[in-house]
Amino acid sequence: MKKYVEDLDFRGEEFVGEWTPWSPQDIRRKKGVLESARVILNSVFTAPFAGGVPSIEAQIVYGQEELEAVARKVEEIAHTQESWKEAFLYEAVMVRDSDVILFIGNTRCHETPLDAGCGLCGGTLDCGYFYEKKTHRYGLVDITDRSSSRMINGPLCTARVGDLGYAVGSALWTAHTLMVDARPFASIGMAGQKLGYCHNSGMVVAVPLAAKAKNPYVDVNVDYHLINMDKVLDNTRKIYNTARIIRGFDYRKWIPKPKKTEEGGE
Amino acid sequence: MGHLIGKQYKLDHLIEVAKNIVHAVHKAPQITGKTEVEAEIIWGEDLEPIIEVMGPVANVMRYVKWDYETIKNCYEKGESPVIINIGAKVSRSNLNWNCGACGFDTCKEFNAYSKEYRGGGQLGGPTCNWKMLDYAIACDWACAAAWQYRVDNRIMGSVGFALMALGYLPDMDVKLGLALGPPRDMVYFNREEMHKSMSYELDKQDLINCVPTMFTCFPGGGMPMYKTKDDWWAPPEFMGIQYSPLVMEVMQQVLFEQVPEIVVKHAGKIEARYKERKIK
Repeated sequence: MKKYVEDLDFRGEEFVGEWTPWSPQDIRRKKGVLESARVILNSVFTAPFAGGVPSIEAQIVYGQEELEAVARKVEEIAHTQESWKEAFLYEAVMVRDSDVILFIGNTRCHETPLDAGCGLCGGTLDCGYFYEKKTHRYGLVDITDRSSSRMINGPLCTARVGDLGYAVGSALWTAHTLMVDARPFASIGMAGQKLGYCHNSGMVVAVPLAAKAKNPYVDVNVDYHLINMDKVLDNTRKIYNTARIIRGFDYRKWIPKPKKTEEGGE
Repeated sequence: MGHLIGKQYKLDHLIEVAKNIVHAVHKAPQITGKTEVEAEIIWGEDLEPIIEVMGPVANVMRYVKWDYETIKNCYEKGESPVIINIGAKVSRSNLNWNCGACGFDTCKEFNAYSKEYRGGGQLGGPTCNWKMLDYAIACDWACAAAWQYRVDNRIMGSVGFALMALGYLPDMDVKLGLALGPPRDMVYFNREEMHKSMSYELDKQDLINCVPTMFTCFPGGGMPMYKTKDDWWAPPEFMGIQYSPLVMEVMQQVLFEQVPEIVVKHAGKIEARYKERKIK
């Protein structure tokens, strides 16, 4: 049996922490979340699906630049719709605070529906609602026209959307089991879809993951897009230096001390 | 001190497990945070109307036949499954996201359409797809919770159809049933309850009907023969495509005659039960 050098030399030390962001110790911590994401994908693909049909694809995204691009896309989408604006801007902050983002999409909901006549999409006794609004020939949907005035190019096969929900549910369940913070997001899903993640899918949901002292996806303050940890830290950098330079002394020669009181204390 | 023996305590425990699963249904995370989800638990004699409604549907739909025979056989031999009815309100959007996933430009247009066609499909519809995702996450959490308790389970559209027809969960507009137990391996997968209920010939014919490419000969001539018997070349067989008045008629009979006949027998009693609970 071949013996690998690394097997014989199985030893090491890993310092892990969440401070400071993007430091080696923080990146080691993020790698743990990345491993969780890969485990979570097992449950995404074993979730129950209508007819046992494979229709799910997923993409794991991590890294400072990658997450920043997603956050900016969420912000862009936020400003396209008044009802989205505030919530989506808050959620862009959550993207920056995530360790890894899991995008989960359904590759069939827009092109190859269940064709079971369940009526969930439009309340009809057949699949007519879906097909009437799609460009198709004998039920083969032409998806080559990728342009759409809408955020999501519906209608979609709702039974397939249900399958996507099962996959997302399983991802969340496993994340909870692994004690990794996670929540499902429409905003981040749509941003990911527009950026080309899960590019075969008609609908994409994002499940960002984080393993930090504070769950990034809950307990936010008002105006969270303006007041959050990044902004607070940046404001500290803005204020503190100025606070230093408005006074001055040569600490080698003299340091101001509190005045002594009559009782002899300081 | 105690000595639990027999079948009853297993059923009692399964009901307790079902209650824990209902907790998971309600705890399930949501995307919108605005989808109303409800769950209830039934077992024993209360399964009879559901089994009865599934009966005629089972004659025309094989996947319903699986569920029907499994639940019916378990129940009849004194090993009642416990079913969790899970429903949600999905046919109206209170999101105002105007995302287009439903096929309309705005939620307002969707809601106007939905008001007119609500409940028209076999499983309900129309549906706001984001709400469907919330509902599906809840159903998935039910399955995952059942799995964590090591209870054999399967989420069933067939039971959902029966719930819809009989008027269970009257305020909800999409419904599925999660069948649990009886406590043994492979109740809803591999389907031991269905052993010997299907012949080899029927199974083979299903495959020819459903996966014709498996049986197609050289297609170069444009009208390929089909290999459906050992000496498939003599005399050759060909497949055709045609409208089937028989299939359509049977389906119509099931949906609009046989099922309503059964529903009429039970719906009043079920409706009264919800009214009683509301008053209390």
